[in-house]
Amino acid sequence: MAFDPQREDYQRLGLRFANSLSTASPTEATRAFASFGRRFARDRDSLPQSDADRAFGLVAAAAKNIDYELPFATDEEAEQIIARGHALLDEAISLDAQCYDALRMKAAAEHPSFESFYTFLFDQSDEVRRTCEERRDKAAAACEGDERAQLAASIAMRPYVRWVATQAEQALICGRNKEALRWAHIALETDSRDTGDVRFTAALTYAKLEDEQGLDALTMASKTHPHTRPSNDAWTQIARMAIAYKRYDLTEAAQLFDQLARTYPHAAESFVRQLELPDGVFARLAVRPYSEDELVLALSEATVLLQEGRDPDGRGALGSWVANQAAARLPQSVLAMLAAEAEARAQDAGTNGADQGGMS
Amino acid sequence: MNARDELVHRLSIKRSRKLGSLSKEAFAELELAVREDPSNFVDDAEEQAFSVIVQALARFEESRHDDDLLDDEQYLAARETRMRRISAACTQALGLNEQCVDARLIMVLASDVTPDEQTGMLLGLDKQLEQDFGPIEPGAAGDAWADVFVRPRLRVRAALARACVDTARFTMARSNCEDLLALAPLDTLGARFTYALTLARLEDEEGFNWLDAREKRKGNAWFHLSRALLMYKLGRMPAARRALRGYDRLCAGGAYILLQPIFVDTYIPDRPAFEPGSFTEAMLAAHEAEPIIADTPDFVGWASQQPGFYDSAVAYCERNGLDWRS
Repeated sequence: MAFDPQREDYQRLGLRFANSLSTASPTEATRAFASFGRRFARDRDSLPQSDADRAFGLVAAAAKNIDYELPFATDEEAEQIIARGHALLDEAISLDAQCYDALRMKAAAEHPSFESFYTFLFDQSDEVRRTCEERRDKAAAACEGDERAQLAASIAMRPYVRWVATQAEQALICGRNKEALRWAHIALETDSRDTGDVRFTAALTYAKLEDEQGLDALTMASKTHPHTRPSNDAWTQIARMAIAYKRYDLTEAAQLFDQLARTYPHAAESFVRQLELPDGVFARLAVRPYSEDELVLALSEATVLLQEGRDPDGRGALGSWVANQAAARLPQSVLAMLAAEAEARAQDAGTNGADQGGMS
Repeated sequence: MNARDELVHRLSIKRSRKLGSLSKEAFAELELAVREDPSNFVDDAEEQAFSVIVQALARFEESRHDDDLLDDEQYLAARETRMRRISAACTQALGLNEQCVDARLIMVLASDVTPDEQTGMLLGLDKQLEQDFGPIEPGAAGDAWADVFVRPRLRVRAALARACVDTARFTMARSNCEDLLALAPLDTLGARFTYALTLARLEDEEGFNWLDAREKRKGNAWFHLSRALLMYKLGRMPAARRALRGYDRLCAGGAYILLQPIFVDTYIPDRPAFEPGSFTEAMLAAHEAEPIIADTPDFVGWASQQPGFYDSAVAYCERNGLDWRS
């Protein structure tokens, strides 16, 4: 599970639509709602919506652009996608000055360093919370029935949850691990279903602090929660492997690596590559659980763990060790292919200058 | 490592044991005689081996004197020769006494392995020594360093603690430093400096304050830099700014070395000596802090933007005729 902007847009408009039908008879309402899905797909703008809903629709479109299309675009396409993304976000902000998703996504591109982006998020987070809470209370009051009110309340708080989730991720990148944990736990308290899988960020952070007990408590807490998957996601497994490595229990670390490789397809290849990708600007990308993509994503976020420490290859102590573990489990032909790939990437980076970082 | 002094001390103790109980004055006289010509007092294979190491270390230091005049390629070649020579001396020492701890330690440090492999080797060495000789004890003096024959084992621990920092194993670094401080409270080896950096990286403010109080808040480059890093990591920016100002004011060349890092070679076998408050001190502290600074990617950028910090670095550079790479 992760924040899916399209799905959230659908939910927002669905709720408003359902609320607008409250005076209709049950039969009329059922018939009208049957048409909602089709109208959403074909003619979204004809559905009843507030300016904030419209703004979110634009955010969803921008998220699709920037997070899901940009990584696959050619250089020429990339510029257009970035320009379109910015225009959508600007329009969203002009409709709803408190469209915090749009404000946050724009800021991600505008701030020159992790530090300044983090400071921006930190400075605004109280205000974001207040506004989202006001919106939550209003939205819940406007709903009939508990279930609807709960969904409305949850949706109203999501921009705040994403805000603090981003804050936690940025804090982790900045080397502010205790701050990262603080914000991750605020996100988890605000959204106990952990829609955005903020606990993954927390898992990596506990490994950074070498706090095995903290990691245990985190996985125990999610075990008792009915909505979350078991704690064998790539993030938690990488965190456990890192902690074993840091204890110099290399046998256990190698066993944990093998366990990971059984959970995820092509894990050894991904561990040799250790690609660093731009983070999702709307939120962590929604990918299929236990897919190769999910592991690639987790590894990219785990860069802070992998690349730490001195290492002659520049991969970091853990990064180098685990790449060697992975390589030892691959046939020569695959290793040759991976080496050729790495060389091509290095050449590409050489001709294109720096890596394409997000939408900046 | 003051190797020659250690040799003199070792030989004097061994000879005095042979002679029976000597008065303080007689022992001092004996020590003078040993200092004059240690080789006359080498009676066993253990000290033969140690003498080989002492001489090898002296040659090692000497061979570094011209490093500044070499270009990169020449330097690498000179370094390789140097490392090969000292490894050969270790082999020779181990041929005389296979238990020679310093030879085993230097062998690991001078070998061309990754920091990760080095950590494993040091850990293995430390465990082996514990198995063969039992745990290190603080001894009658309450400080294990007082026993000159235990010092090599303390050096192994200190090197292990630094290797743990280098490979991002901070809980292990912490427990090694804690052990060292408990076993040798006077901490001649300066494990507390490694400890300060470790506590900053683990964002352990309580631990750091305890260590700082133990140090009577006298501080030095490691402590000032660690405090600035710690406060920065905790997001306590006014305190971080104050700590950074302290670092800049109290550590000669501190600002310069943070913005213009200088390569420091492997410690053989321990941290080089430095004058308190000297540029060397700041250079060694910044070198040891490197992995932690790199893990806090905007720290240096932030520091250079603090009022006066950049100017202070440039001023130090100009005053001392140093290089500035942009």
